[in-house]
Amino acid sequence: MNQTLEDTIIAISTPAGHGGIGIVRLSGPEALPIARKIFCVKEPEQNIPARTMCFGYLLDDESRETLDAGYLCYFPGPYSYTREEVVEIHLHGSPVLLNEAVRLGIRAGARPAHPGEFTLRAYLNGRIDVIQAEAINDLIRASSLDQARISFKQMEGSLSRKIASAREKIVDLLTLVETSLEFPDEDTEITPEQIRTVLLDLIGDLGRLASSYEQGRALLEGLTVAILGRTNVGKSTLFNALLEEERAIVTPYPGTTRDFIRENIQVDGVLMKLVDMAGFGQASHPVEEEGILRGQKLAEKADGLLVVLDASREESPEDFLLLNKFRNKKKLLVFNKSDLKPAINRQKVLDTCPGVSWVEVSALTGKNLGQLKKMMLETFAPQLEKQEEIILHQRQKVLVDSIKNSLENGLKLLDEGAGEELVAEAIREALPAIGQLTGEIRNQEVLDQIFNRFCIGK
Amino acid sequence: MSQEKFAEEYEVVVVGAGHAGCEAAAAAARMGASTCLITIHLETIAQMSCNPAIGGLAKGHLVREIDALGGLMGLLADETGIHFRLLNRSRGGAVQGPRAQCDKAAYRLTMKKWLEEIQNLRLLQSVVTRLIFEGDRIVGVACQDGTRIKAGAVILTPGTFLNGLIHIGLTSYPAGRANEPPAMELAQSLRECGFKILRLKTGTPMRLDRNSIDWEKFRPQPGDDQPVPFSFRTSRPLKNLIVCYVGYTNEKTHQVIRNNLDKSPLYSGKIKGIGPRYCPSIEDKVVKFPHHPRHQFFLEPEGLNTSEVYVNGLSSSLPYEVQKEILRSIPGLDQARILRPAYGIEYDAVSPAELKPTLETRKFKNLFLAGQINGTSGYEEAAAQGLVAGVNAVLKLRGQEPFILGRHEAYIGVLVDDLISFGVDEPYRLFTSRAEYRLNLRIDNADLRLLPYGFKLGLVSEQEYQRFQEKQGRIKKVIDFLSRERVKDEKGEPIPAVNYLKKPGINWDKLVEKVEIPVELSPEEVRFIESEVKYEGYLRKQEKEISRIIRLDNLLIPQDINYREIPGLTREQVEKLEKNRPENLGRAKKISGITPAAVYNIYLYLEVIRKKGLRDNVPRGTCEPDE
Ligand SMILES: Nc1nc2c(ncn2[C@@H]2O[C@H](COP(=O)(O)OP(=O)(O)OP(=O)(O)O)[C@@H](O)[C@H]2O)c(=O)[nH]1
Ligand SMILES: [Mg+2]
Repeated sequence: MNQTLEDTIIAISTPAGHGGIGIVRLSGPEALPIARKIFCVKEPEQNIPARTMCFGYLLDDESRETLDAGYLCYFPGPYSYTREEVVEIHLHGSPVLLNEAVRLGIRAGARPAHPGEFTLRAYLNGRIDVIQAEAINDLIRASSLDQARISFKQMEGSLSRKIASAREKIVDLLTLVETSLEFPDEDTEITPEQIRTVLLDLIGDLGRLASSYEQGRALLEGLTVAILGRTNVGKSTLFNALLEEERAIVTPYPGTTRDFIRENIQVDGVLMKLVDMAGFGQASHPVEEEGILRGQKLAEKADGLLVVLDASREESPEDFLLLNKFRNKKKLLVFNKSDLKPAINRQKVLDTCPGVSWVEVSALTGKNLGQLKKMMLETFAPQLEKQEEIILHQRQKVLVDSIKNSLENGLKLLDEGAGEELVAEAIREALPAIGQLTGEIRNQEVLDQIFNRFCIGK
Repeated sequence: MSQEKFAEEYEVVVVGAGHAGCEAAAAAARMGASTCLITIHLETIAQMSCNPAIGGLAKGHLVREIDALGGLMGLLADETGIHFRLLNRSRGGAVQGPRAQCDKAAYRLTMKKWLEEIQNLRLLQSVVTRLIFEGDRIVGVACQDGTRIKAGAVILTPGTFLNGLIHIGLTSYPAGRANEPPAMELAQSLRECGFKILRLKTGTPMRLDRNSIDWEKFRPQPGDDQPVPFSFRTSRPLKNLIVCYVGYTNEKTHQVIRNNLDKSPLYSGKIKGIGPRYCPSIEDKVVKFPHHPRHQFFLEPEGLNTSEVYVNGLSSSLPYEVQKEILRSIPGLDQARILRPAYGIEYDAVSPAELKPTLETRKFKNLFLAGQINGTSGYEEAAAQGLVAGVNAVLKLRGQEPFILGRHEAYIGVLVDDLISFGVDEPYRLFTSRAEYRLNLRIDNADLRLLPYGFKLGLVSEQEYQRFQEKQGRIKKVIDFLSRERVKDEKGEPIPAVNYLKKPGINWDKLVEKVEIPVELSPEEVRFIESEVKYEGYLRKQEKEISRIIRLDNLLIPQDINYREIPGLTREQVEKLEKNRPENLGRAKKISGITPAAVYNIYLYLEVIRKKGLRDNVPRGTCEPDE
């Protein structure tokens, strides 16, 4: 693994498989000379103009055989994605052809790029920061539109900007605290109230950032939605209906489903992982009992629950037991079999869980399933403000949380009147995390701020 | 090979008898080395060139540390102090710093007397003009009169004298201090050594005649009722013998300054050196903060037997005429007579990146630099470096382990490490915020942190060490007592007395209302116990972190490591690492441009990738590891 930035890398940069066009990209000091060895521009000029599509032919320079026609586009460094010399060769999208182009490139002196190496180089060359690099990775892997949109915005640096602004406020905060500690004889007139205001503001910002992580995670990983209810209420039928596929076995007999079945569905661009499981109730078989136990555990961790009730039968103590057990989880009440004659006392059920939304459906006929999906999105998926930037990474979330924690601790100390040096200590405790999230804050930076803002010095 | 003839020979020669030089010479001699301290004027030994004060925040901490290591500054400031204050008295122990105003003449004379009393130490009035080397090792110095002195080690502490240039208005003249000749040849000699030379600037305000000031117009600032000494060795009670006064400039003053900026060497571009931002001239303040209606200044008497008053806050390099006009604009100073005009001074310094943590130069063996020559400002910063250089010069000559304090154990460690790791781009001053472990670096535990070192080095006497141990014994007794004893809190619940003391808003005075302490304690010991109890949780946490860092810093980097294999390092970083080949992670951290992220990547590589043989399967894309 002999990796340096000195060599020129090459890779197919459009997705695998057949497509209309395919692009082979080169980056590194030799990008252009190598590209010109394998691609012959039709009207050869002395210099290839920058950022202009030049028509020409892909050429095997040994056999002098023309393989394809296409365009070459040259992005001179540092005005390129990686800040290095970059050339894109646009060809027809056949995998065989594109692989051949790469092979020719390697023969002409390039080396195959490691996965993600173009982005890595952009990062190493200072073109993008870590957050942007991560965002680009997500964009490449994005499987739904919303996700792509968010990744794209991050790539544009909006999350970076938001974090930069939090960083600025932290420097600001340290400036206030340190000035008040360091220069007791100067009339800088910094009050604890002033420090408090900045602290609160910052904690608010970080809180919003952290909660946006939940949204980001939902979009990136999908939401887990567990279907539960007594046996035979129609859980598997509902599962199949939502899936639009006969995935789970459905029988008229209670205790049909004994283990989980998971499948993914897309609801309006949001990924949901549906889980069907054994029905609750008297287990008639040890296997079923184990299934029920596991089901409970999984339901505890799910992002949302669909509690299915059989509307054609009277409510039972087990229904209430179940509702009580999961009273703190996000859930929807689904009154199934609404195509049959109702027997359930719906009001009585609803009274036990006030505020929970409900819907009458028929898994068999498909009645109200559209409505159910909409409600699932509203209740389980976090509310996305279209303008809100979203944190996508666990790593960042952990950092934001730990910074927020330290600052809250600082606020508590301030309110107790514990002395600014301890408030400062709380903020300083967060510095390693801040460093990882936003880049290191050196104390020289704080001192710079102090001297810029306050007239210090006798 | 030089064929120099030497008139005399010493183990250690110190050039310059300012605050750095005095500590360096005293430490070297008291450790038993034959030492010669050379100065231009024996009359100006330990001269306070600028303000008449020692200490303050961070600086007061330094003085305590110097004292705990057996240095002189603390004891001398107590001895000659005439006005004592503990800054941040109402705040926690970690940010309290003692400050004293001293009688300048007494300070000077007493230091001279003390130095004269030290065995092995010889004072010499002369001007060093040249350094004498054999290969890459210094072997002596040559003086203006042709005398050559042979030395095992040389410590240079020339202050602002190196190539000094004084500015008053647009007039300038070479000088090391007002009306004292600069060290031109020595400066030249250093340039010829190939050191990276910086040009720095500082300034000092005017001194006024006490009898020409209308004191009624100013707010008095008396010293503390219970003065806190610097030195652990000072036992006599301290007394405030003078009062300082606070005053303010006004719009009229600022107008005068604005009208005369064209006569300022600073604003006309005549001064090229970089001045300290924390110690700006009054013209700087007016220009940088145009909306401030007034700027504070302090009137500080320079001693008991002089009528000179130092105007702290009105440092300036404007012409004498303008200085007079400035004073005329301030009620109470309108009749004031200037005894010495304010001036700015430019001087040479050597980039401290040239130094090892012992303050020995990297280029030349046994040549040490301390004080302003290393780009610092302040008497205390200078004295601390002097002590470090003096001690290490002797250790080096004896072939012993160097004495290097860590950032976690002393402000002295922070100071030296900042200097050699980051260099300076303005005169460097210590701040408490520069320390990572501020809660541990306190005035009240300076002896606990450092006195054992001082004892081991031979700078702290047997008797003092004994006293220190007795003090620790008393403290332990009381802390044990407080952990056992229960007192009632506000709600009437009985809780351990330590927990009560830990509460915000509760101090020692409130505690002793509730519980009788069986041991008689000094205020110093009370201060220590209060801090230890209040900061307990933080201190334990920091202790853990410190030991973790020390462990990591000591992690060895194999000399045959291929830095190119480590993901996440930039090309420049790889080049720097290949050039320096640091032996451990701690050293790698010190190389400029090696960021914490880079260090982490190296660590990860050493600990995870190499150990687990994942060499060919390093995650790519981003370089930040997830945990
Ligand atoms: N009429 C009507 N019958 C339904 C409806 N949904 C499910 N059923 C029937 O109810 C019976 C049980 O359905 P399942 O989907 O297997 O029920 P389940 O809850 O998965 O049962 P277990 O896996 O045994 O817990 C089957 O005969 C279904 O055809 C509905 O909406 N209307
Ligand atoms: Mg089923």
